[in-house]
Amino acid sequence: MGDSMVALVTGAAGGVGGVAARRLAADGHRVAVNDIAGEERLRELAEQVGGVAVPGDIADPDAATAMVAKVAEALGPVQVLVANAAAMAMSPFLDADPAQWWRQVEVNLSGHFRLIQAVVPGMRVLGHGRIIVIASGWGVIGHQNATAYAASKSGLIALTKGLGRELGPDGILANALAPAFIDTEQLLVDAKDAGISLEEMRQRYRDLVPVRRLATTDDIAAAISFLAGPGSTGFVGQVLQPTGGVTRTRA
Amino acid sequence: MTDGPVAVITGAASGIGAACARMLRAAGWRTAGLDLNESDTDLPVRLDVTDAGLVRAAVDAAADRFGQLDLMVTAAGYYEEGIDVAVITRAQWDRMLAVILGGTVNAFKAALPHLLRRGSGGLIAISSELALAGSATDLHYVAAKGAVLGLVKSLALEVAHTGIRVNAVAPGPTDTPLLAPDSLWREPGYLATLPLRRLVTPQEVASTVCYLATEGSMYCGEVLSPNAGAVI
Repeated sequence: MGDSMVALVTGAAGGVGGVAARRLAADGHRVAVNDIAGEERLRELAEQVGGVAVPGDIADPDAATAMVAKVAEALGPVQVLVANAAAMAMSPFLDADPAQWWRQVEVNLSGHFRLIQAVVPGMRVLGHGRIIVIASGWGVIGHQNATAYAASKSGLIALTKGLGRELGPDGILANALAPAFIDTEQLLVDAKDAGISLEEMRQRYRDLVPVRRLATTDDIAAAISFLAGPGSTGFVGQVLQPTGGVTRTRA
Repeated sequence: MTDGPVAVITGAASGIGAACARMLRAAGWRTAGLDLNESDTDLPVRLDVTDAGLVRAAVDAAADRFGQLDLMVTAAGYYEEGIDVAVITRAQWDRMLAVILGGTVNAFKAALPHLLRRGSGGLIAISSELALAGSATDLHYVAAKGAVLGLVKSLALEVAHTGIRVNAVAPGPTDTPLLAPDSLWREPGYLATLPLRRLVTPQEVASTVCYLATEGSMYCGEVLSPNAGAVI
């Protein structure tokens, strides 16, 4: 494998983040994991991957600097940032609670803006770095009843493209992933909202996807591994879409 | 090595195709190379990809020899630089379309029955960053590479439910023999405009192909572009 680097994964107590942290550790990287919730799960994960847990709310303006300093102390300066933490609340646009709008923008977009600001100086000193932004297919094509979430994820995509241009000359590669339906615990929430069983929810989503299956957390972790690894050095400012074709075919 | 997955690569004798063949072999794949010239593969076949019959025979022979087929990579192509639309001849236009678009169609049509039989596998076309952004010159090359993207996106949907994945890799200007030593794409003034300040390497294209082929089963009609920032 490639060189061992220090990676920080936000939102690591959840499905994609947790699997990504394990995959990056399996690739030989030293991994720090962050989440606002599930602190015990987070510490267990950190132990399993031989890394460090840095719990906290990335929407807290003071969190980024403290978190990055803590990682640097324990493992070294962050070389790979996986910007995965996300808040999502669905509601019709006109009913959208302004507090929920701002919460999603604060976590998804501004939280990662501050975190990226905190890690880039260290990457510049090293002359390399990877910023892997987990955006969303909804940030590409939009989605009804999820305008705040989609707007925040679109913002992340534009942020990634700007960073690609601005930081590329320093050897810092910013790229984004825009997945669609992933088989995670979020499906339980969706099933409950829709008043159907988990398996019915899975099938409903599968029917929307040309390849007739949902992405697994392993699929997304593999994409993160690629963007963190030696094979993706030609990528900058790109948005990879392992969606099974759904973002190009949905009306 | 005797039971590794099997890839056929067109244009395998040089540049991006050769890099793909090399990297896949290093990862345990068995390879057949279709090219005008002899390729360093397990089964080199010299042919012109515009000849559908020869392509089909070579692909069938590879599947027969190795017992299976898992991947087709279409890298065969050529480049004519600095030609304005007004001076592109009919022959230049026809040949470019025949090799890049026709060659890709020939290879995909030959490989598809073998992949369908197994219900898995991938078709990966090498396109170009120019097909995403356009170019002020060489529009026959750009049109052909763009047509390949339309083919990829449509065929991807046609076979999506069968388990077969069709995708494209659209590299930025890549350091291969297709770029002449005095190519404008090699000029320092141009390279300085790229976020990465350099050409893409054939290895960077090959590693993208390897990723798609091994862990990319959720990509369906996508265009991955290792382009050093030429198109963002």
